[in-house]
Amino acid sequence: METRDSRLHILQQVMDAAALRHRVIAQNVANVNTPGYRRQEVVFEAEMARALAGTGGPAAVNVKPYVVVADGPERVDGNTVDLNREMNDLNKNFLLYEAAAQIITSRVTSLKAAIAGH
Amino acid sequence: MSFNDLFSANSISGSGMTAESYRMEVIANNIANANSTRSANGGPFRRQDVVFAEVLGSATRGAPGPNFRGVQVVDRIEDPSELPRVFMPGHPDADAEGFVQMPNVQLPIEMVNLLTASRAYEANLRAAQTFRQMSEQALALLRG
Repeated sequence: METRDSRLHILQQVMDAAALRHRVIAQNVANVNTPGYRRQEVVFEAEMARALAGTGGPAAVNVKPYVVVADGPERVDGNTVDLNREMNDLNKNFLLYEAAAQIITSRVTSLKAAIAGH
Repeated sequence: MSFNDLFSANSISGSGMTAESYRMEVIANNIANANSTRSANGGPFRRQDVVFAEVLGSATRGAPGPNFRGVQVVDRIEDPSELPRVFMPGHPDADAEGFVQMPNVQLPIEMVNLLTASRAYEANLRAAQTFRQMSEQALALLRG
């Protein structure tokens, strides 16, 4: 088993991206009644998928999440936040974070077992 | 990410809850004064509304985006719309023709605003709860 594992690093990047996305969703939800506010979102998975498939872009370990202003249907007050959508994204993002955390836990557990020689 | 940013998701959701509950207070005040013909600044009560604004901190170098700080109530404004005139000759605030200027509070509008404020509050609360669960997941990594 390889200990200098880039997969652990990628899982850590996934958790970082999910933590950032949570803050962005929290910001969108906090501003649901702010006139003229444009909802924002995090770009990460698509770039990571491209990097892992080797079809251009930086190497997978160098892929960084970033925040963009997203478009969406605009309300009368110029606000583009849809609470249902944000709540859905919130749940999805939480599951992603949880999954990455648990995969890291299980990998670390098997690394520990290998070190202990069980 | 600095230590102060570590729990910033909590303060973002917290600012949303503070702003929405302030909005609910203002709405409750509007409803309570729906029939007040005298107010602190003279004349009949005018319905009030809050102005929300997004708060961003200064961006740090290498950060993936702006430094989110949630939302803030920047102002409380009075609704300048026309005050309805009601014929009540016996009222002490009636004018020479017997009309009284009543507050421009309309209950359906206030109730709808109350509902949206309450929904938004719940959504912020949900985001804060999810952040707590995520933090627990991250702490569980330490336990291995």
